[in-house]
Amino acid sequence: MALRLASRRFAPQVFRRGMATTIEHTKEPIAATAEATSASRPPIPANKTSTEHEPKKDENSRIKTFNIYRWNPDEPASKPKMQSYTLDLNKTGPMMLDALIRIKNEVDPTLTFRRSCREGICGSCAMNIDGRIPTDTAKDSKIYPLPHTYVVKDLVPDLTQFYKQYKSIKPYLQRDTPSPDGKENLQSKEDRRKLDGLYECILCACCSTSCPSYWWNSEEYLGPAVLMQSYRWIADSRDEKTAQRKDQLNNSMSLYRCHTILNCSRTCPKGLNPALAIAEIKKSMAFA
Amino acid sequence: MACALRPTLLRQALAAPSKRAFSSAVPAFRSQRQSVKPSWSSQRAAFQTSARRPILPPLPQVIHGSVNDPVKTPEPHPSHGSYHWTAERLVSAALLPITIMPFAVGSLNPVLDGTFIGLIIIHTYIGFQSCITDYIPTWRMPTVRKLFDWANVLAVFVVGWGYYEFETNDVGLTEAVKRVWRAGSNAKEVADKAS
Repeated sequence: MALRLASRRFAPQVFRRGMATTIEHTKEPIAATAEATSASRPPIPANKTSTEHEPKKDENSRIKTFNIYRWNPDEPASKPKMQSYTLDLNKTGPMMLDALIRIKNEVDPTLTFRRSCREGICGSCAMNIDGRIPTDTAKDSKIYPLPHTYVVKDLVPDLTQFYKQYKSIKPYLQRDTPSPDGKENLQSKEDRRKLDGLYECILCACCSTSCPSYWWNSEEYLGPAVLMQSYRWIADSRDEKTAQRKDQLNNSMSLYRCHTILNCSRTCPKGLNPALAIAEIKKSMAFA
Repeated sequence: MACALRPTLLRQALAAPSKRAFSSAVPAFRSQRQSVKPSWSSQRAAFQTSARRPILPPLPQVIHGSVNDPVKTPEPHPSHGSYHWTAERLVSAALLPITIMPFAVGSLNPVLDGTFIGLIIIHTYIGFQSCITDYIPTWRMPTVRKLFDWANVLAVFVVGWGYYEFETNDVGLTEAVKRVWRAGSNAKEVADKAS
């Protein structure tokens, strides 16, 4: 080893070799292949082998077009556009989200959308889709971000105002008196049942962004999702700030911009009924 | 047709891209009036013939306070909130029987007529007020909001005066509804008589 290094260092330029083997110092590549395909090992000629064709288009493929809203904040001067993508539904899962993930993985990695759990628990992926499952290939599916929201990018809406409003209703248990046994605040089964259909809300903002009243007055009107969560704490038997919670809604804007349009109940992906919750708040405040 | 109009439309769009200068719907007239103006060029493409003028377009996003601050909670105003809502529903509910009562009973009582009219006026006032609250936010257009609110109050008096005139000098509301309801029931006789 030492000898080789020394020889490399002290050898004249002509005999020095770099780290890579250059072509003039090795065998000619043609000669090298000639050795592999020598007369003793001839290749099987093409006419004796089968032909591999380019993969044929599947006759059973169900090609569906997806028109997706695109807007890039890096190019603020360019208008939002609808970009079309085609997918074979046989290779795509049944959900819109499967299609979107497949588009992002295989077609266009710049497509941006929020998703996390893909099972209706986190509420991240809420967007404006055309129906639930895109099985009809004749019709294009259109995918937009949630309506009347400020768009961050592509299908990602800005829900800052929504979360700020949610915070304003103090969505947590408020008590002045300590619990009877010093450990937990117990509740009867009937009282617990009042919270069914309220606590399941995942705050995806589908109902609020589908409400025309919230479109016009999102600065002041709280919107169905937040109002339903407000009612979830008003209806809670353990909460002791019910009067303050109601007072907070007792003005012309916060609650009473609800005109029972009922888009909220129609659009809820969890099948909840925000309109009923709002009606219950109004009823409980009407003759108080 | 479209090809013939296109140069006109293009010139129109280039000349006045940002505001609808004239309300004339005929492009020919508009182009004539436009040609008087100096034609300064614009980079915008002639996609629309007239510029869009949306009512109350959405403003750029503003976040008051930090992202973690809750939105401001307004002071409780039961007279604009729960009392208002209750009164509104009571008036609406009261209107139903009072609409049917004069016909069911078959009498024309001026006091009943007056109550009916009063409730209708209150009902319409609240209805228009709701529209104004919905579509003219105070934080955005305080002056216009005030103007519309007072116009609504003025309308109450104007309509009230109109009803007063109708009640005192004409047949009155219930009789008018009765006549409108039966309008056309004797159309055949009238037609026969005329022919």
